[in-house]
Parts: sequence; C-alpha cells; structure tokens
Amino acid sequence: MNLARISKRYLIMGMTLLGIVLAFFLIGLIWTPYGINDTDAAAKLLAPCADHLFGTDNMGRDVFSRCLAAARYTLLVSFAGVAVALVLGTVAGLAAGYFGGITDKIIMILSNSVMCFPGILLALVAVAVFGPSLYNVIWALGLVFAPTFARVYRSGTIELMTRDFILQSKVMKVPPVRLMYVHILPNLMAQILPAVITGLANMTLFESGMSYLGLGVQPPAASYGKMLSDAQSYMTVAPWLIIFPTLILVFYILGLYFISEWVRTSVRGGSQ
Amino acid sequence: MGNRVKFAAGKLCEFLLTALLVSFFTFAAFSIIPGDAARVMLGTTATEEQVEHLRTELGLNEPLAQRYVSWLTSAMRGDFGKSLAFSEPVSELISSRLPVTLGMSLIALIIVIVVSFPFAAVCSRRPGKFTDRALSAAGHILFAIPPFALSMMLIILFTRVFGIVAVGQYARPSDDFGKFLSCLILPAFCIALPKIAMTFKFLRASMIEYSASDFARTSKSHGLTDFMILIKHIIPNSAVSSITVISLVLSDIMGGSLIVEQVFNLPGLGRLLLAAISRRDFPLLSGIVFYLALMTVVLYFMSDMIAALIDPRIRDRRTS
Repeated sequence: MNLARISKRYLIMGMTLLGIVLAFFLIGLIWTPYGINDTDAAAKLLAPCADHLFGTDNMGRDVFSRCLAAARYTLLVSFAGVAVALVLGTVAGLAAGYFGGITDKIIMILSNSVMCFPGILLALVAVAVFGPSLYNVIWALGLVFAPTFARVYRSGTIELMTRDFILQSKVMKVPPVRLMYVHILPNLMAQILPAVITGLANMTLFESGMSYLGLGVQPPAASYGKMLSDAQSYMTVAPWLIIFPTLILVFYILGLYFISEWVRTSVRGGSQ
Repeated sequence: MGNRVKFAAGKLCEFLLTALLVSFFTFAAFSIIPGDAARVMLGTTATEEQVEHLRTELGLNEPLAQRYVSWLTSAMRGDFGKSLAFSEPVSELISSRLPVTLGMSLIALIIVIVVSFPFAAVCSRRPGKFTDRALSAAGHILFAIPPFALSMMLIILFTRVFGIVAVGQYARPSDDFGKFLSCLILPAFCIALPKIAMTFKFLRASMIEYSASDFARTSKSHGLTDFMILIKHIIPNSAVSSITVISLVLSDIMGGSLIVEQVFNLPGLGRLLLAAISRRDFPLLSGIVFYLALMTVVLYFMSDMIAALIDPRIRDRRTS
C-alpha cells in the first residue's frame, strides 16, 4: 500500500462523508418535508417509516426535517468560529514569531493561560456572562481555539526567520507586515491547512456539547446537540432520536478528519 | 546541576505567572458583565434595595483593583465566598462534588493508559499492515463521536441489548465505595474512548520513530529479542515523551467530564457548574472556574517538571 493510494482513499472517503452533510445542509436551506417545529399529536415517537424517514420525537416533530435544518448551524458555528480563531491566532502567532523577545513571551504566556481552562469551560463562562446566543458562542469558541493556530504560526515563523530569503528581505527593509503577508503566510499554508480542518472538526464537537447543555444554539432553531439532549429521556424507547443526529455529526467530523489526513499525507508525499 | 536549577526556576516563574493570569482572567470575566452585576444576578424582579444590598455584600461598590486583590487573597486561602443559590460556602460545595469528577477523571486516565500503550505497541510493530490500519481507522471513528452522544449510544446498548439497568445510578462514596466506583466506570469509559484515540495516535508515531532509531538497531544486533527491545527501550522512551500529551489528555478529560456527568446524572462539578450558570450564581461560578483552571495549571507544571526530571534532554534543550 503506497502513500499515494492511501492518501487518495482518505480523499474519497472524506469527500463522500462531507458530501452527505453538504447535501443535508443545501436541502435544508430550501426545503424540509415538515416544519421543524410542527407538532403532530397523532404521530408521537414514531419509528422511522415512509412518512417520517428518521421517525418523530416526543412532540411529534419530524426528525428528518429537524436534521436537515440543524445542519446550517453546525456548519455556521464551525466555520465562523474557526474564522475568528484564525484571525486572532494568525496575528498573535506571526507577531510572536516575527518580533520574538518580550512580544513573544507575552503572547505565549497569554495563550498558555487561555489554554489552561479545560475544554469548553471558557466558552461556558462567556455564555454565562453574556447570555446564550449564536454570536456569543461563535466568538467564545473562536477565542478558545485561537492559541492552537497561534502556536502553529509561531513555530512556523521562527523556523522561516532563519531562511535566506527572509533575511534578505529584512536587509532590504521590507516592512514587517508586507514581509509577513508576501513571504511568511504563503509558506505556512501547508502547515495551517490541516490545523484549520481539524479545528473545524473540534469546533463542531465543542458546539454540539454546548448545545447539548442548552447553552449553544437556542430554540426555536434546531441543533443536533439540543435534539440529543431533548431525546435523552426517551433514548431507550426511541433510539432513532439519538442515532440520526449523532450520525450526521459523526459524518461531518469524520469527513473533516479524513480530508485533513489527506492534506497531511499528500503534502508529506510531495516533499519527499 | 546548574541546568537543572535554572530550568526549574524558569518553569516555576512561568507557572506562577500563568496562575496569576488565570486568576485575573477568571476575575475579569465576571467583572466585565455588561450593566450591573448585582442586577444581572437578581433578575429584573428585584427591588432597588435588594440590588443595593447585594452590591455591598459582594463589595461591588469598591474599586476594581481592590476587589481583585481581596478576591485573590481570599481565594488563595481557599475561600471563594458564599454561593448565592445554595447559601453555602463555595469551597464546601466544590469539595462535596469533587469526588465524582476527580474519580471519573482518574478512572478515565487509567483506561486511556492501559488501552493505548498495548495497542500502540502492536501497531508500531508492523506499520501499514492490516492490524495497524484497522486500529487506526477505529481510532479515527472514536475521535469523531461527541462524548455525550457516545454515552447515550452506550446506555442504549447496555440497557436494550445487554439488559443491564444499573446505568444512571449513583451511590455516595461514604455509603458504598464499591458501588460508587462501579457507577463511575461507564461514564469514565465514554470520556476515555476519544482520548484513547488521541494518545494512541501519538504513541504509535513515537514508537515507530524509536523502533527505527540507532539504539533499537544496536540492541537488535546484540541479540535482544524484539519483545525485549520493546519493553526495555521503546516503551520507556515513548512513555517519557508522552507525559506532555497525557497531561493534555487529563485536562481534556476534566473538561469532558463536565458534559458527560450530565448524561449520567452524576452529581459532580459539571452539574454544579450548570446550576451556577442557570441561577446566575457568579461567586460559585468563578470559584469552580478558577479551581478547575488552577488544577490544570498545576497539572501542566508537574508534567513539565516530571518530564525534565526523567529526561535530561528536555532541560538541556532550553538552556543551550
């Protein structure tokens, strides 16, 4: 089994899984078979059947429709959260790596302290203080994830700083911002890309956890985490309430992992 | 010896500074509440008198810097003030909930170590072969399931398929320690599974690297069996380099237990935290947050020190 074939297999599996989720997202944007909050007293806790593909919940809501509609929040929070984290992390990491010295020390100790709040704790605090809303979740999770990107950029920049073309640009008095933009950022693309994709996956795990605790996406909007926590009392009588939302989350996260694995292996294969 | 002292002193300074910053972040997070903190805590129905009373009680009328110093000095004595919702000292609430969270985290950590080492050793023997690929794929899938969803799946599996109904019960450690432990095992397992995948991935890579190293080849030429090389050289080396990863895993486990406790209805810190959030009990909330973060800071510091103590390369790399 050579590397190229393994890496291609990752790409195919990842694209298939992400394709399914993307299809859910796109269909959910324009059409759902039932309204996501339409209750039907005659169809409570129905097992999956032709009318209700994924069954119905304790209030008679169609799980398939809710799964279609919830995809948008999973995608939105993961992409927007990573975007916030990437902007913060890029600025902090480049500054730390480029200027070094005291700037580096300060930025690193700040990012280390942020990382000392385990898991979703910091995001929970932010939501507790500012109230649960989509935007608070996004910036709070973005803040939590920023140090990860800052570290990648910092170590990459420190490595690049010793290279001749950077030294030469410095001698030619290229302004720092331009030097970072033209020389450093493009050269760190291969390192930051897998980190971004894994970040999307981890962001989804965190978001679903917060929604599960009732502190993420707020009803009436549907989210996978909230669907799972609503279904908890009925999980032994109606396991489909758990299985389908979980499956879509797993497809999305696993698809992202496979793609990041593909990026990693194909970059490694290319450089050898 | 000089190196050792210099390294330890540097790490200690870093540790103290991080702990101070963490305390400041925790304090600041609850001081930048938009509007009046006392008003936010009491809700819109409270009278002006009640709000003013709470303001004086929490010391909100004093300047910010003075409040921070007094908060920090009492926090260092283990005094986080009094919870508003439970009207009990915060430190007592935390210590009464601690056994569950701590017990679950420790069991999970043991599961992670016991499972990931042998699997990584097996996989590193023949990287790229069937066993390796199958286990690595399983690791990917485990990593992709949110822990709380995994817990629910396992509860369904245990109650519906195996017919075990003991899931979701809880006994206090002082009443029945054996039962206390047994009801923590399934939740601990749910937190541990994704972390096993993470530790396994790291260990596998480091074991493959060490298997290809010079000292492994020399041992082989001296006639040691592969198994002896694994036991005597490769596993100890990977264990040292995995200390940092394991400390990260432990902090992740503590964070994960906050959510998983909710699924299994266990009275741990996570439940207390959520109660504090929903009741807007900021003294309790800041106490829990600071406590958990401080534990993580201490954990990272200890793992750094242990790694440097065992492996001189780490402390030399810094100073050279």
